[in-house]
Amino acid sequence: MSRSVWKGPFVDSYVLKKAEASRESGRNEVIKIWSRRSTILPQFVGLTFGVYNGHKHIPVNISEDMIGQKFGEYSPTRTYYGHAADKKAKRK
Amino acid sequence: MKDGKICVGAIGGAYGVRGELRVKSFCAVPEDIEAYSPLTSEDGQQVFHLALVRQIKNGFAARIVEVATKEQADALKGTQLFAQRGQLPSLPDDEYYHTDLIGLAVLDTGGEELGTVKSVQDHGAGDILEVQRPASSETVLLPFTLAAVPTVDLAAGRIIADPPDGLF
Repeated sequence: MSRSVWKGPFVDSYVLKKAEASRESGRNEVIKIWSRRSTILPQFVGLTFGVYNGHKHIPVNISEDMIGQKFGEYSPTRTYYGHAADKKAKRK
Repeated sequence: MKDGKICVGAIGGAYGVRGELRVKSFCAVPEDIEAYSPLTSEDGQQVFHLALVRQIKNGFAARIVEVATKEQADALKGTQLFAQRGQLPSLPDDEYYHTDLIGLAVLDTGGEELGTVKSVQDHGAGDILEVQRPASSETVLLPFTLAAVPTVDLAAGRIIADPPDGLF
């Protein structure tokens, strides 16, 4: 069963506090969080979170199209390296 | 990348009894493996002119001009297929092949060495460089963004990084 709309999106309160503090300070930093279950909110856009995957904090740059997803979706707990072959990386 | 060669696939063995092979592609677009033909073995001794026949489970059924029988196909089981780096198409600015980035030295803006690029990952939130710290097994994940990585100098074999606070 999906979450009731009247409750609003779930976010751990410490994530909100850390994000607000980071935005106010204006520093370029990775906000370390352990809350993979928190929803990505519009006020997080532009910030970089380090989302814990049980081993290390994976840097996640928040963009508009990630709103509504959970942080954990961008921090996989298993890593498969595979082959580089002709795969490309784009600097944004 | 070994001697300018890139592993783009592997032969899984014979497919059927008419000399077709089961080929696994490691390319971003799997069908592109055909475009890099002729491919070579790791030592460069064998050359394979590859043509994909159809898609099958976990790869492609393919024909190699040099292979005519099932026995020849079975003998190639496990062979890795290599393309030359020069065969890859050139890319626009700010786009790089993983194979070019892996192994580059990472320096900070002051010139201090931070490590070397071990791998490039993408978990859906932009590309990330995995940087191996010098004289340590520890790795650090660096976002591959213009802000965090202002300079990529492939000719000099180095990356200048301006990492966010708290990463290194």
